[in-house]
Amino acid sequence: MSWDKHGRIHDLIFWPEREEVDKYVYTPGLHGLELAKALVEGRILGMKCSDGSVYVPPKTFCPDFGEGSLVEIKGPWRLQYYTVVYEDLYGNRLEKPIVVGVIKPDDAVNGMVHIVNVDPGKVYVGMELKPVFKPKDQRKGTIADIQYFEPA
Amino acid sequence: MVSNLFVKDRVAIVGAGITTFMRRALETPRELAWEAARQALDQAGLTLRDIDCVVIGSAPDTFDGVHMKGEYLADGSGALNKPMTRVYVGGGTGVFVPVSAWWHAASGLCRTVLAVAEEKMSPAHPHPQYVFRYIWDPIIHRPLEPNLIWIFAMEMRRYMAKCGAKKEDIALVSVKNKRNALDNPAAQVAANITVDDVLKSELLVWPVNELDISPVTDGAAALVITNENTARQVTDSPVWIDGIGFTLDNQHWENRELAFPRYLNYAARMAYRMAGIERPWKEIDVAEPYDPFDYKELHHIEGLMLARPCEAWKLLKEGYFERDGELPTSPSGGLLGVGNPIAAAGLMKVAELFWQLRYEAGKRQVKKPVHKAVANAWGDLMQAGTVIVLSN
Repeated sequence: MSWDKHGRIHDLIFWPEREEVDKYVYTPGLHGLELAKALVEGRILGMKCSDGSVYVPPKTFCPDFGEGSLVEIKGPWRLQYYTVVYEDLYGNRLEKPIVVGVIKPDDAVNGMVHIVNVDPGKVYVGMELKPVFKPKDQRKGTIADIQYFEPA
Repeated sequence: MVSNLFVKDRVAIVGAGITTFMRRALETPRELAWEAARQALDQAGLTLRDIDCVVIGSAPDTFDGVHMKGEYLADGSGALNKPMTRVYVGGGTGVFVPVSAWWHAASGLCRTVLAVAEEKMSPAHPHPQYVFRYIWDPIIHRPLEPNLIWIFAMEMRRYMAKCGAKKEDIALVSVKNKRNALDNPAAQVAANITVDDVLKSELLVWPVNELDISPVTDGAAALVITNENTARQVTDSPVWIDGIGFTLDNQHWENRELAFPRYLNYAARMAYRMAGIERPWKEIDVAEPYDPFDYKELHHIEGLMLARPCEAWKLLKEGYFERDGELPTSPSGGLLGVGNPIAAAGLMKVAELFWQLRYEAGKRQVKKPVHKAVANAWGDLMQAGTVIVLSN
């Protein structure tokens, strides 16, 4: 039987429930902790695996299950692919569209997803970018410490 | 129950690994999975290239706080670009993981399977206990705001009333397992305690005190499971999976006799039949019954037919289940001593039997010679029973 056909919701008996877990506290992981410290210092870390390939950001273990060693990612960074966002999560029109893309350092095999601070009309694949960090006193050791990437 | 199983290949375990069980791990869930999986591969002398399929086991996504946790754990479990299955029957998952890996290999679908179980209980704040609210019937149970320990307290009470066991008889399980865990380097809450310590620990839900319960834990465990041909190539001492069983009972637990775990008994009969075991109480040499609560080990010993109903607590008093006893149970230290990262706890028990059957358990090795072993896990609302029978 359909609720909709039955009538108004308040005519029905129902059992309300509430969310019980207040919050989740995630740990950054072994290499993640080092990455967090580096972000506060304005550096980005990657992970070098035994076959020489570099992954960014680091996650302790390599695709072949070996342990990676930490290396600093210096760039240059290049825009691999991108999209332009016009609405926020709730469907509200954004004042200014946002460019989001995957940005790959030349010496790594993969890229990182982040915001690109560039006019949507001027963005192109292969564009050279550089990270812009928040002011030092606002950095918290998260990926949002990088405010955005902008043309180098 | 009539089983009509067409089994193509005999299946063996050739490697096992577990992480240290702890309260709050710095490692991410995928890093925990990786640590256990890599150990298991190392022991088997294999690499990821030898793995055809992966089985991942994990309890509710809401513990780790990551939805679709099987997919999330995939890279840490070596499952990238491989056929991957995630199985989940609550606490029963730990033993359901090798059961599922068994059917992957026994069917001939996969030669070698990596079986990984992971659980990180610490991300959910203020306490992972709240996650359990969502396992209740939303209409007839949840409005009463039940707590998981409520119903287990009632089950314990029912067992005590029907079997004439006293609190101090049951507390002996906690004493034994926490002591066994002293020899386990992975253990979280190993301790030399007395029955008095258990009785005097904080009363949570009568008759359950704090030391009657296993702790909140982060951890992972893994096994490498393969068919007979490959097993013979990679090791001289494979541990065979002789039988598996799994059954599910009604979620409305109030409709059942709680003194005897029927959900487990049916699963055990299925596994014993497959393994050709007719008198488990004589034929099984070492067991890892699932022990999230101390009474639960006694309950499960009876469900596994290692003791007559209502007699496990009497045998326990005589030292029958000690590590140097007639039928050692939970030589690892069990969930009460090693810890309880839900899905990983059950798989830790199977890993322990693997090491016992290979005489690799070191200080934990039971005194008597061992040939056949059984482990079980239990999940949901006294509902899910999973059993595995091993031999060397």
